Amino acid sequence: MSEVVSEKVGSPPAAPPAEPRATASRPRRNRIKIAATAVLVLFLVLLPILVGSEVAYLKVAQYILIGAVGGIGLTLLVGQAGQLSLAHPFFLLVGAVSYAVLAGDPEESDDLVGLGLPPLLALVGAIVICGLIGLAFAPVAGRLRGIYLGVASLSLVFLGLWLGQSLEAFTGGTSSGRTPPTFELFGFPFSNAEPSPTLFGVAIEKQQRLWYLFLVLAAISYLLARGAVNSRIGRSWRAVRDNEAAATAMGVNVTRVKAGAFVISSAFAGLAGVMTALWLDLVKPDENEFTGSYSLTVSIAFLAIVIIGGLGSVPGAVVGAAVVFGLQQFFLLGANEFGWFADAEFGGLNAVVLSAFVYGAAVVLVVLFEPGGAAAVGRRLVARLSPSDIPSAPRGGRSTPGSEPERNDDDPTA
Amino acid sequence: MILRRRAGRSATLAAALASTLVLAACGSTADTPADTAAGAGGVKTDKGVTDTTITLGIMGDTSGVFKNLGAAINAGNQLWADDVNAAGGICDRTIQLEVVDHGYKADTAKTLYPQLEPKILGIVQLLGSPVLAALKQNLIDDNVTAAPASWSSEILNNPNIMMIGTTYDLEVINGLAYLQQEGLLADGATIGHIYIDGEYGGNGLKGSKYYADKHGMTVKEAKITSTDTDLTNIVTGLRGDGVTAIVLTTTPGQTASALAANQALGLNVPVLGNNPTFDPALLQSPAAGALGNLYVAASSPPFSSQTPKAAAVAKAYKEAYPGAPLNAGTNVGYVEGLVWQNVLTKACENGDMTRAGIQTALTSLTAVDTEDLVGELDYSSPGAPPTRGVYIAKVDPAAEGGVTEVATVFTAPEAESYKAPFQEG
Amino acid sequence: MDLATFVQLFVNGLGKGAVYALLALGFVIIFKATEVVNFAHGSLVLVGGYVVYALKDTLGWPAAALVGIVSAALAGLILERGLLANARSADHNSLALLTIGVDVIITEEIVRRVGADIPFIGDPYDSQPIQLAGVTIFRTQAIALVVGAVLITAFFLAFRFSNWGVAMRAQAENKEAAALMGIRSSRVTATAWLVAGALAGVAVLFMATQDFSGAGLGRGTHAIALIAFPAAILGGLDSTAGAIVGGLIVGVTEALTSANVDFLPFLGPEFSKSAVFLVMLVVLVIRPSGLFGTKELSRV
Repeated sequence: MSEVVSEKVGSPPAAPPAEPRATASRPRRNRIKIAATAVLVLFLVLLPILVGSEVAYLKVAQYILIGAVGGIGLTLLVGQAGQLSLAHPFFLLVGAVSYAVLAGDPEESDDLVGLGLPPLLALVGAIVICGLIGLAFAPVAGRLRGIYLGVASLSLVFLGLWLGQSLEAFTGGTSSGRTPPTFELFGFPFSNAEPSPTLFGVAIEKQQRLWYLFLVLAAISYLLARGAVNSRIGRSWRAVRDNEAAATAMGVNVTRVKAGAFVISSAFAGLAGVMTALWLDLVKPDENEFTGSYSLTVSIAFLAIVIIGGLGSVPGAVVGAAVVFGLQQFFLLGANEFGWFADAEFGGLNAVVLSAFVYGAAVVLVVLFEPGGAAAVGRRLVARLSPSDIPSAPRGGRSTPGSEPERNDDDPTA
Repeated sequence: MILRRRAGRSATLAAALASTLVLAACGSTADTPADTAAGAGGVKTDKGVTDTTITLGIMGDTSGVFKNLGAAINAGNQLWADDVNAAGGICDRTIQLEVVDHGYKADTAKTLYPQLEPKILGIVQLLGSPVLAALKQNLIDDNVTAAPASWSSEILNNPNIMMIGTTYDLEVINGLAYLQQEGLLADGATIGHIYIDGEYGGNGLKGSKYYADKHGMTVKEAKITSTDTDLTNIVTGLRGDGVTAIVLTTTPGQTASALAANQALGLNVPVLGNNPTFDPALLQSPAAGALGNLYVAASSPPFSSQTPKAAAVAKAYKEAYPGAPLNAGTNVGYVEGLVWQNVLTKACENGDMTRAGIQTALTSLTAVDTEDLVGELDYSSPGAPPTRGVYIAKVDPAAEGGVTEVATVFTAPEAESYKAPFQEG
Repeated sequence: MDLATFVQLFVNGLGKGAVYALLALGFVIIFKATEVVNFAHGSLVLVGGYVVYALKDTLGWPAAALVGIVSAALAGLILERGLLANARSADHNSLALLTIGVDVIITEEIVRRVGADIPFIGDPYDSQPIQLAGVTIFRTQAIALVVGAVLITAFFLAFRFSNWGVAMRAQAENKEAAALMGIRSSRVTATAWLVAGALAGVAVLFMATQDFSGAGLGRGTHAIALIAFPAAILGGLDSTAGAIVGGLIVGVTEALTSANVDFLPFLGPEFSKSAVFLVMLVVLVIRPSGLFGTKELSRV
């Protein structure tokens, strides 16, 4: 396990490209950063070619990006704004269902509501709807603190379970669910429609196309989140998180800032929901609260992503997603390809159990030894690679005037 | 795994992927699927068939909620394949099974499917309604024919589904007809139906509604989910409604709870369940004393059946898997294989073992004989269940597998007249 | 709904409520002592149950039950001493997250160990209903109610009059002041986890039964412990009396809404689970710290 983690951490400017910042005083660090980013981008872009016909690995990678987008949204809310939420799967469900309803073919079935909007518009619409529902929950969230808020947010997961099963015209019901419409961009379908272009001998079919779509969506999410964290919005979130009374005294409208964090986080979750629908090729509400795509297990998984990555760190959330969402799927693949856990027939050690051990242990170890999570490990690693730096030195444009150097908990290289 | 596993050629590839960042340039190029070609014996083939082997997939559950049943079905599949191979195979080719375990989770299955799909001709067992719902479009896109271990008539609009046996709605119709024939149920009665929300329970409910409608009965519905375990309060409610029989399309644990409450609350009405409602393990539970009221209607015979083929399969199972749980899954798995055998043989005769050829062969079959492991199957009218008869069994702690057969391939007139959701004409 | 049905449902709910109260009390004790919410409570329940299952054939049920309770208590103690106490730098919210990690591991391991067995562990009383004036009383629930009442009374007496009770109340009131008065914080904290674990160990003896949950020890048992969460929150996380009231409210709400009787079916299948959480949400909106919880003051 440590092998995997350290390996992921070994490339701290994690996953989607971080824009290289020009800081003349640090040519060496910048060179490392640019090189690492370039390698990573190249790797991600070429992934479909590297895995070739083993499309299952591409599905795993797509799944990690879903976790990354959702995880980024949650880390902003929990880590940056200090609002504990376990309601993430509810917003995933709303996003998935909204996409299917907005883009759904009105003629498809008498029993299903479909508005027939273009898929891109439906995707944006689903994100907006999730944001608005997040806003509707904000007054409740505004009244509650800490753990009370966390448990209260659990009720949304139960609400989603109930509504998902009751509103069959929208969700398709738990029986068969409904098929989300194929995503299209200016007439280009993300399906197996012929003719497929080829890239280095690999046909760019449905799964390859989805990979590039997800990669772009994840990259946009990543950059937007980094932007928010480094802007006034991010500073107001951290002010509210650290001390509400002090924030109020400094002129921050605490209620509005909290509501804003909820809206943004829900919107990210909504996008992750649309991606889940496209990934599964299916929108189907869960049959129960403990297993399924929008269940309590997913609540916990997202929280684990955020903790492992380091509360509030955007790149950390991507690393967390690779650990939590990636490992289980990877173990499952291994189980079937090479007969790992071969004697797991009755109550043995299997892929699901093992991945739960790994991410459970990762959560425990992070809290015990490295509360900053993967982000903090990354920070230290980078500091070691560029010894000329004084790690605690304030950086141009990043510190608040008249205060001690501010750390935004986000940039592992900061 | 009980079943043979084959460590794949791609060991190297995945090892490379495990060390992602090192991978760089060692990716494999796409091995594009072999174009349709004439293989040995002048038979046309595409995926999953070589000159010496036919590979079929199993997408089963050996780690999730149906693991007992799932393991027995897998074993049944394997027993069939062993029998066929011992007899020289089909079309001069041996049968190979490629097994994956999705643990009854749709998202897991969705990841495993693309890995399995290029290697197989078709799927000999696809377990679980949620999994099937998730893979529906994939099966159509890839033209993969699959025998589901899930018997809802709601999925018969998918031409790639090869239904083995009858469907949940018909199991319930036949079961209620049997109860009435035995004098346990009267016209105009109120019956309760507790069902799991989803394809499984909902399809069973269609059956009891149809039967009730024909006999002036009222159905009190109670919808639950697959993880609910305590049905005491629901049975309390049904007692208040004055029901004289209860129908269950539930998990085995839920069956036990309903029966225990049925007895504890002094209701003591006959209870009808269909195939998946019963698991012999219930006879070891505290509810064991309350199981006597349960009748099970299923399209394949119980483990202890005296039907000759069923008895032979049971014997082979006990020899091959000593100590493994005894349940109806073995027969289910074996009969799935038998139907595939008929289809493959027909496709071989037609000289076309491509996926499209399998479809053609399947719809041309009008009378598949499975030696009474299920009723005679007719695949010529898509949308209609291929057979309508069921076995009725009653709980019997002394019997192997916990139930004794009380009626063989029982088909009620109401079952003949019932029109399934996607049935034409 | 006729009266007989209502009475029967109310009785069903009351018996379950007693067990929820025991679980909720466990949350509250730990929270009062440390301000940590123990997400691993469900896995303490599983530890106790698993030990009973593993030993009851060799030791006999009564001895196995006793060892089970002790084991759950020790598991709580080990969790606190071994992990939480060593994470001094972390605040109580981080520690709550730590317990989630522990919970995932213990739950998966025990669920894997019990495997397909899903053992029932209420041997002496399970499935032996008592008929009383037309009402069926499930023996398990009746015993749970009595045991719950005795334990809760004992707890309140200890809380009020014993040295530990005084120390704990002092620590809950003001940790620094308590430390200055010579109260050893670590001992109070450790005892709180020990007691909470023991209560979980008692609760599981009733939970993994046909009467109570219709299922043996497994993932479902863990799930029931989660229902105790709204119970604790409803009453107020720092109120022991609140835990009892919360437990009973949750038990009765769940029973009445899950019966699927005539006026409810349109609410659909999941409403009884949602109902418990929605009741909690409504209470929280009106009283953000629960029915009996202490209001948090914001200090500048």
